[in-house]
Amino acid sequence: MGLLPFRGADSQTLRAGDEKGKTTLMSKRFTITRKPLLLLGISAILLLVMACAPDAKQSTFGTSGPVAEQQLLLFNVLLWVMIVVFVLVEGVLLYAIIKFRRRPGQDELPPQTHGHTALEITWTIVPTILILGLGIWSAITLFNLDQPPAGADALEITAVGHQWWWEFEYPDADGNGKYISTANELKVPVDRAVRVNLRSDDVIHSFWIPKLAGKIDMVPTRENYMWFQADETGTFYGQCAEFCGTAHAQMKFLVQVLPQEDYLDWAERFGETPVLSAQAQAGQSVFNGTGGCLVCHTATGSDDPAVVDSRMQSFLTTETGIAPGPNLTDLATRERFGAGLVDMNRQNLRQWIRNPEDVKPGNHMSGRAAIYQTSDGRANLSETEITSLLEYLLSLK
Amino acid sequence: MATLTDVIDRPSGESGLWSWITTVDHKRIGVLYGVTAFIFLLLGGIEAGIIRLQLSVPDSTLVSADTFNQMFTMHGTTMIFLVIMPLSASFFNFVIPLAIGARDVAFPRLNAFSYWVFLFGGLLLNASFLTNQAPDAGWFSYANLTEKPFSANQGLDYWALGLQVLGVSSLAAAFNFIVTIVNMRAPGMSLMRMPLFVWMTLVTSILLVLAFPVITVGLIELTFDRNFGTNFFVPEGGGDPILWQHLFWVFGHPEVYILILPAMGIVSEVLPTFSRKPLFGYPVVVFSGVVIGIMGWAVWSHHMFTVGLGPVAVTVFMITTMLIAVPTGVKIFNWIGTLWGGQIDLKTAMLFALGFVALFIVGGLSGVSHAVAPSDNQQQDTYYIVAHIHYVLFGGALFGIFAGVYYWFPKLTGKLFHEGLGKLHFWLYFIGMNVTFFPMHYLGLNGMPRRIYTYASEFGWDGLNLLASLGYLVLFVGTLIFMVNILISLRKEPDAGHDPWDAPGLEWSIASPPPSYNFAKIPEVEGLDHYWIVKRRAAAEGRPVTEPEAYVDPSTIHMPDPSYWPLVTAIGVLVLAAGMLFDTGWDYIRFPIPFIGGIICFIGIIAWANEPPAKEHAGGDHHAEDGHGMAHHPATATAAVMERPAGAAGVTVRLLCSNCGNQLSSSFRFCPYCGGAVESPADPDHQEG
Repeated sequence: MGLLPFRGADSQTLRAGDEKGKTTLMSKRFTITRKPLLLLGISAILLLVMACAPDAKQSTFGTSGPVAEQQLLLFNVLLWVMIVVFVLVEGVLLYAIIKFRRRPGQDELPPQTHGHTALEITWTIVPTILILGLGIWSAITLFNLDQPPAGADALEITAVGHQWWWEFEYPDADGNGKYISTANELKVPVDRAVRVNLRSDDVIHSFWIPKLAGKIDMVPTRENYMWFQADETGTFYGQCAEFCGTAHAQMKFLVQVLPQEDYLDWAERFGETPVLSAQAQAGQSVFNGTGGCLVCHTATGSDDPAVVDSRMQSFLTTETGIAPGPNLTDLATRERFGAGLVDMNRQNLRQWIRNPEDVKPGNHMSGRAAIYQTSDGRANLSETEITSLLEYLLSLK
Repeated sequence: MATLTDVIDRPSGESGLWSWITTVDHKRIGVLYGVTAFIFLLLGGIEAGIIRLQLSVPDSTLVSADTFNQMFTMHGTTMIFLVIMPLSASFFNFVIPLAIGARDVAFPRLNAFSYWVFLFGGLLLNASFLTNQAPDAGWFSYANLTEKPFSANQGLDYWALGLQVLGVSSLAAAFNFIVTIVNMRAPGMSLMRMPLFVWMTLVTSILLVLAFPVITVGLIELTFDRNFGTNFFVPEGGGDPILWQHLFWVFGHPEVYILILPAMGIVSEVLPTFSRKPLFGYPVVVFSGVVIGIMGWAVWSHHMFTVGLGPVAVTVFMITTMLIAVPTGVKIFNWIGTLWGGQIDLKTAMLFALGFVALFIVGGLSGVSHAVAPSDNQQQDTYYIVAHIHYVLFGGALFGIFAGVYYWFPKLTGKLFHEGLGKLHFWLYFIGMNVTFFPMHYLGLNGMPRRIYTYASEFGWDGLNLLASLGYLVLFVGTLIFMVNILISLRKEPDAGHDPWDAPGLEWSIASPPPSYNFAKIPEVEGLDHYWIVKRRAAAEGRPVTEPEAYVDPSTIHMPDPSYWPLVTAIGVLVLAAGMLFDTGWDYIRFPIPFIGGIICFIGIIAWANEPPAKEHAGGDHHAEDGHGMAHHPATATAAVMERPAGAAGVTVRLLCSNCGNQLSSSFRFCPYCGGAVESPADPDHQEG
């Protein structure tokens, strides 16, 4: 799309156009005929609608579920109030500028008014009432959205923010007390409230799935929570919203909303021992041996909390020691890796293993894992080792 | 130290580089502030350019993540602390003494000290680029990302120490202007006759005095955490990163009003002048400014709606934040009321002031939409907020400041800006500003978070980002046009006259540029818009006022002499702060350099206190028998001499300190130059103000 229609897209510029029309009156040097102005107006409205782009992957306009919907409803009402106030106030302003311009030969002073008490009281009281009304409604929405509706059998999940990936724990994934810990892809059932406990073990992050719910921060010293409910199946996109360091831009995640039975199926099958080919078995020994991967990553079922704690301690107290890494169980079933960053396929994964720094600058694997402490940052592994490691990782399903 | 001040003569030159370095003249200090801040504006603008260039296309690899993080951190910090605040300070300096009918600020040397400390603070902050350790945790530097495990290099130390130094400057300046405005108004200028800009400066200065100590505490705690092993914000040590957020925003939200209120004051001067009618609802505008200043303390947690404060706390801050829109709206309505029925002259200054009003409305409205917490949950930390802050700080504060530049430039230089280039500058800024920042509303609502150095094309943010980057180019050209305009205008012959806009303020009754003493006769203020009253009475009597006040021999008016010591003391402050960056690693003396800085400060302050007047002023004058006159025997300086030269427009009272001979406002209880007590004149006619 070209520059001009886009400029129309913003109603500010449109008004700038109007004011340019006004300069016309003033200087009589430029003339803007009404026709382009009209066209500009139409394209502005069209693009205004298009720019809202509810289809975009992280659009807050394309909501699914009660939380995001109520937040959008509130915003939409505010938006219309804003548009009305905007048109009225800017309209009066523009009218005053045009109407009361000094004409040549106007030497007499205009009436020297100093104020108007009734007006002052009116334009203090009216906005106050308007704002209190909106405020009360907002407060009601705020309290309503605080907790999942009473009686809803909410799925409980704990999300932990790490630099720069997400850990998801299900204390009771299948209703029978199965504990699951996984990373970067959240699987939830459709039409069921999900209550997410938000924690962080390092710095502050913010958990945000624009189409499902607004963000809440993950603070190391707080037990925060939020909830959402997806009304349709599919993939939703989430992103860290609080600046958390070098790779903040690449701290993303996916939410896969599954039909209830598919979700239960996934929960039951999670952590089953994968079938490994001979090459994959060679890869497994690289993972556990020369590669040293298992120091930070668990690939066989959920993480033992004690192991996670010791990794975290090392991360916080040393500059080069190990750090907690995403759980890799069922890695091959994931749509993406690198915290929602790149598609899961052999080629991308090979590139990642060779040198993660190329894909995600600043990541702690490059910074801390022993095999990457080389002059060029490439893994200290042979091509054969990398190939078998790949085979192993792609068998994790 | 008396020996030191005996050996080194007090400087007295009035031209050349040294005269600028040692100046204590508020007008020159205003220029220093303005020029320095403008250079920082260019620097911050280049940082913005790198940000926009990087984001103009998806998956850009122009700069690395770390460089990008440094850019947005330094862009925000620079624009707030090194551009908008000092540009406002530049107007405080140049305009306030002129607008209240004073010959200088209350503490001229402290004023010079403020400037030098500001300059050194800015240099210290930017010196981080030289060691490739620019701060990279955002202008808000949220703990605990700022702690050693996550920010190993010294970037955050530069940041914290730089802001501490800048805080010293802001506090010194704020106290100076509070005392100046409270004590040094010309006779007759009661509080409710003060121009709006003076009012807003007073409110801003009070906010500064109250807000800066809070960030100072936070910065000290951060510095201690990073260098001395404390745990204020370290969760593992029992600290709480949320404490930082509270400290930062208890400072940070009043700071927002510190940035915008001076611009509102400027606009409240410009709109009446170019509408040829007084400000509509003056008392209401004053009061709403004060109310904004007070309410600004009760809204800080709206920056923290997603932190998890709980619905009760969030509701309280939501309602207070929404209510602050009321006094802000009242101001806007009164500005429109000022235009209504006027005769509007669209000079460049007026265009910028109108642009301020038009754009501030947008910023104000989007502000209400994230005052509403549930709606803010989607907007917090997205480009929607970026759009909002640029509408209030670029469209608002900076447009207001440019209105002031175009308005007072003729007073400063005696020359008029080139109007055509000025208007071109305005339209480039107005269009460029909207093209750059309006699309960001959509970007934010379409899910683009702030502070990301790259994004994938799949999210559909590319087109609008490119548009925003093109808008930056328009702003860039606009800034070049402004610089060209300044260069062209400065080379012109003086053509402005003393009152080119038929303005109401006291400052327009004297020559342009103003003589060093400002007012030969301190005016007797007859009402709000004093100069309009004078001119219109004269016109009614058939003798229009066209001449500025006549020049007098400056040697007959005692003005404070230039001084080295503010600069020396400021250097001490710099060494003290920057020395904290050098850790020797020895067990016993880890940080020796700050002690050297402290010693320099000490010498500077003692010499400052004992400084005699310059030699040529110390001679036969009545005020300095021993050559040290100014401060040696303050206890004996008790009587004030009152002169009553008969003027055409009535009797003007001049109070002279009997100790140092400085001219005083009748409201003084003590002489600000030498500290001697002043006895009130017995004449009851001149007790007002």
